[in-house]
Amino acid sequence: MLDGILLEQAGIPAVSIITAPFDETGREMAVSWGLPKYKYIGMPHPIANLTEDELNARADALIDPVVELLRQGQAD
Amino acid sequence: MSAAHNEPAHPGNAARLIELYYEQGWTDGLPVVPPSEESVGAMLAAAGLRGNDLIGEVFERHARLTADKVAVNAVLAGCRPAYMPVVVAAMRGLLHKDYHYHGAATSTGGSSVAVIVNGPIARELEINSGTNALGPGTRANATIGRAVRLTMMNALNTRAPKLDRSTLGNAGKYSLCFAENEAASPWEPLHVERGFKAGESTVTVFAAEGHIQIYNQLSADAETLCRTMADAMSQLGSMGIVGQPQTVVIFAGEHQEVFRKAGWSRARVRQCLYDHARRTIADAKRAGRLPGRLEPKDESTWRHAVARPEDILMVAAGGDAGAFSACLPGWGSGTLCRAVTTRIERP
Repeated sequence: MLDGILLEQAGIPAVSIITAPFDETGREMAVSWGLPKYKYIGMPHPIANLTEDELNARADALIDPVVELLRQGQAD
Repeated sequence: MSAAHNEPAHPGNAARLIELYYEQGWTDGLPVVPPSEESVGAMLAAAGLRGNDLIGEVFERHARLTADKVAVNAVLAGCRPAYMPVVVAAMRGLLHKDYHYHGAATSTGGSSVAVIVNGPIARELEINSGTNALGPGTRANATIGRAVRLTMMNALNTRAPKLDRSTLGNAGKYSLCFAENEAASPWEPLHVERGFKAGESTVTVFAAEGHIQIYNQLSADAETLCRTMADAMSQLGSMGIVGQPQTVVIFAGEHQEVFRKAGWSRARVRQCLYDHARRTIADAKRAGRLPGRLEPKDESTWRHAVARPEDILMVAAGGDAGAFSACLPGWGSGTLCRAVTTRIERP
């Protein structure tokens, strides 16, 4: 989350991805940095115990939302 | 949180304020002592600080900690003003880069902050280092550790479920503060080993999982006792097998005596603990703690619970009766989060 915020601040488009149970933690981090409306993407949890195929499927499912958010940008 | 209230110390007002603090979410679940301008001022004076003095920062949270916030939380926790320099030193340690506050405080690992006090101040403030050192009943132990946690919660936004994501947490998160029993220890004190003078007072802060008690009543032999302790340090479910964080080992009275009689130095004990606190790669793979297919060489390839003997912090504490010691496995990894020892400054 913080990496995405700092990259955006440096003028580099970035997308943060948070697993679902950490949504409120991610939102609080954004609030800490004065960006309560910061946009990021959620994904299912957990990750660490997935097989390679399951991980690839997760990544495939994220491609469209990531591209969409990069196009959209952080501006309202 | 706002500045301290300036209410007269009427019992009815105190009860009302305690409820107010609950309503605001400014407690750890236990009642707090409502602060006043006077009590907060006494805390600051005892540490020789002004309210806006900077104690430290948490970059990741965009947060700054000033002395007045620590003072308010020390009052809330029930500290005497004389404890304030210890609380401040502990917070400086937590905000040192080596501790990596944001990771340790936010993680699902749910670490407590072990606050270990060394030097003359421990005796002066009567911080318990003896019987029931890790348990309740001593004001200094209970409230210094509590002040650290309340400061984390109220001033550094370390609250579940947002920026404290502890899956379980542990009881040490209420307070885990004790002193080293330097007089009884077979070895030089922890802070001397970490570069301070014996006459200096220090606080060592350490991100700890809950403590694991180690029982061995039968052994009067240093080597076998080390093996018992090493087993507790190297359990497969601990974070240590993968991340190799530092580990604190607390030696209580009867076990101290075994090592004293054996004439074992600190270095020898630590080396022996390091040697035996290990699992084979095969063990870790069979438990699914390490990835990959089991290879024949895994049965004879070892992974130690800590990366090197120096990552075992040895402390003497606890009563003189009972064949119990304990280890406090560390949080995370030995490269991410390390114990920090800070000198306690008094005016």
